Amino acid sequence: MLVSVHNLVKRYGDLLALDHFNLEVGEGEILGLLGPNGSGKTTTINCVLSLLTYDKGVIEVFGRPMAPDAYESKRNIGVVMQNVAVFQELRVDENIDYFCGMYVHDAKTRRRLVDEAIDFVGLSEFRKFYPKKLSGGLLRRLNIACGIAHKPRLIFMDEPTVAVDPQSRNKILEGIRELNRQGATVVYTSHYMEEVDQLCTRIVIMDKGKTLAAGTKEELKAMINDGETISVELYVLQPDDVAHIRQMPHVTRAEYADSHLTIHYDGGQHNLLNLLDYLRSRDLSFGRVFSEQPTLNDVFLEITGRQLRD
Amino acid sequence: MHMFGYRLKCLARDREVVFWTLIFPLILATMFHFAFDQLMGRQEAFSPIGVAVVASDAYQQNITFRQALGAISEPSGSQLIELAVTDEREAFRLLEDGAVAGVITVGDHVGLTVSQSGIEQSILKAVLDEYTHKYATVTGILRANPAVAGELIRELGQTRSYTQQASFSSAQPDTALNFFYALIAMTCLYGGFWGLRNTTDMQADLSAQAARRSVAPTHKLVVVLYDSAAALTISLAEVAVLLAYLMLVLRVSFGNEVWYVLLTSLVGCIAGVSLGAFIGTYVRKSESAKTGILIGTSLTMSFLAGLMIGTMKDMVARKAPVLSYINPAALITDAFYSLYIFESHRRFFLNIGLLLLISSSMCILSFLRLRRDRYAGL
Repeated sequence: MLVSVHNLVKRYGDLLALDHFNLEVGEGEILGLLGPNGSGKTTTINCVLSLLTYDKGVIEVFGRPMAPDAYESKRNIGVVMQNVAVFQELRVDENIDYFCGMYVHDAKTRRRLVDEAIDFVGLSEFRKFYPKKLSGGLLRRLNIACGIAHKPRLIFMDEPTVAVDPQSRNKILEGIRELNRQGATVVYTSHYMEEVDQLCTRIVIMDKGKTLAAGTKEELKAMINDGETISVELYVLQPDDVAHIRQMPHVTRAEYADSHLTIHYDGGQHNLLNLLDYLRSRDLSFGRVFSEQPTLNDVFLEITGRQLRD
Repeated sequence: MHMFGYRLKCLARDREVVFWTLIFPLILATMFHFAFDQLMGRQEAFSPIGVAVVASDAYQQNITFRQALGAISEPSGSQLIELAVTDEREAFRLLEDGAVAGVITVGDHVGLTVSQSGIEQSILKAVLDEYTHKYATVTGILRANPAVAGELIRELGQTRSYTQQASFSSAQPDTALNFFYALIAMTCLYGGFWGLRNTTDMQADLSAQAARRSVAPTHKLVVVLYDSAAALTISLAEVAVLLAYLMLVLRVSFGNEVWYVLLTSLVGCIAGVSLGAFIGTYVRKSESAKTGILIGTSLTMSFLAGLMIGTMKDMVARKAPVLSYINPAALITDAFYSLYIFESHRRFFLNIGLLLLISSSMCILSFLRLRRDRYAGL
């Protein structure tokens, strides 16, 4: 394991931010830490990085206890902070060079790494710009470049796409996949389930400082009763037909209202084909058809009774 | 050097702080220069004072007085008055028009009529008082002892002084210099802005940049040293620009000891940067509050060192001497002044020593707090 967190407890006064929290990160994975605001994601990251004191627990990185003076471990860690951490007085290339220089002392190597980082995040035409001239999305890209320029083995990314335009968001997510392909292990925190769903090989859902569920996205979705949901526009449907549909395999519930038939399944395959075959056999005309797979929000909702985004 | 170079760029490109720490003192220095030139009247030349004398019979008969007036109205480099001998009506008309500063009338006594009080009128009165006094003295002596007439006439032509001026150095004391020295002290203490900025960029609970620096594999002491060196460099450069402006453009004198002047500037900048770092480390308030406290502290120290009231430094030295020994601005000001006035460097090195002691105390206390590696909250 690259990162091992065991029994971590952190209090802010009376508030228990981390409640005997455990976490393990294997080499080569993209671990998503998913939870609503205030669930303890950033606190976890900051404790692992030895920025925060904590009341109890053991944290190891690269098999060694993590501490503020664990310079060997720190040399292989990259951090993309939740708040943009760049100097307004330095240009794009200067910021990256400065922070890379805290890890890589050889000037020639560093120059190459800086150029690669700028190209990687797509800031080549902005390298002489000052941060205040950049849009929010470009600023976030600069923030990432500063954290990964030295090619770390382990990267912590704390909500790197907050307030970012869709183009930059896609660029960032693609960049993270590429970093992982190049061998980096990524710990990615977010409250955007779509990103975590899209990006992460393993996910930990947390709330109120505790782990609620952990596993791959398939494993997490399999935890809940709800499977596929199919919606069909149907202008005419008799009660007999609704009753028949309710009896079809894996159907947990079916409702027909406002010319829409909505069916919930608890699993099974080819549910849509079976449904459409039935509708055709009854000569029932239908319009648009939608099929949705369960989301991580559904998982969170089922476990906590609340939505991920409050 | 990598960290030092970028830190220097970071600070030097902070235009707002550069304005207050460099441009503002230059503006103040220029204003002081013009203000003191006006007040001290350094460029004023003396013009003979216009005076009218009523050509009465008594005046015509008073040969002694006419000769005395003639001596001081004779066109030369030391001409004191410009005489207009005329009738009474014309004389007072000239006075009313402001063409003359006073009207002298001779009767039983010599009289002076003026229309307002001022320097010229005071000079005329002093001249007539001197004449009247000497005339009474001479006539009294001759009445009592006519034999000493020859010797008396010889003595009257001479002036003797019974005091001798002794100076500590070849330099002339100049109270206006105190203002310039206090301005340099203020500029040194404004190096605190850089010290304060450094602490914000070092403490992870104060800025995201500091958090990023904290997770890097670089010892905190190294970061502190490089940042402090950059702050000191920029502060010293600004003071050097101010000194060059004062010496070369405004012709403010610092005596002949340039290296000691630079030493004072260096130690003053160390005091300023460490003051800013101390405030930035120990004052747990917003950045704007810290800046306000730094400005207030620097200005108060500079005020007590004589920045706004020239005699304040002496007043503090007499009424609360301890303040003079712990106020960095007073120590810097006094170091410059003692370089200028005294031949011996004893007092100078005392000031430098005290400054270094205060600075190192603030540095040590700041580092003890800054070296903290973890925080309760970010």
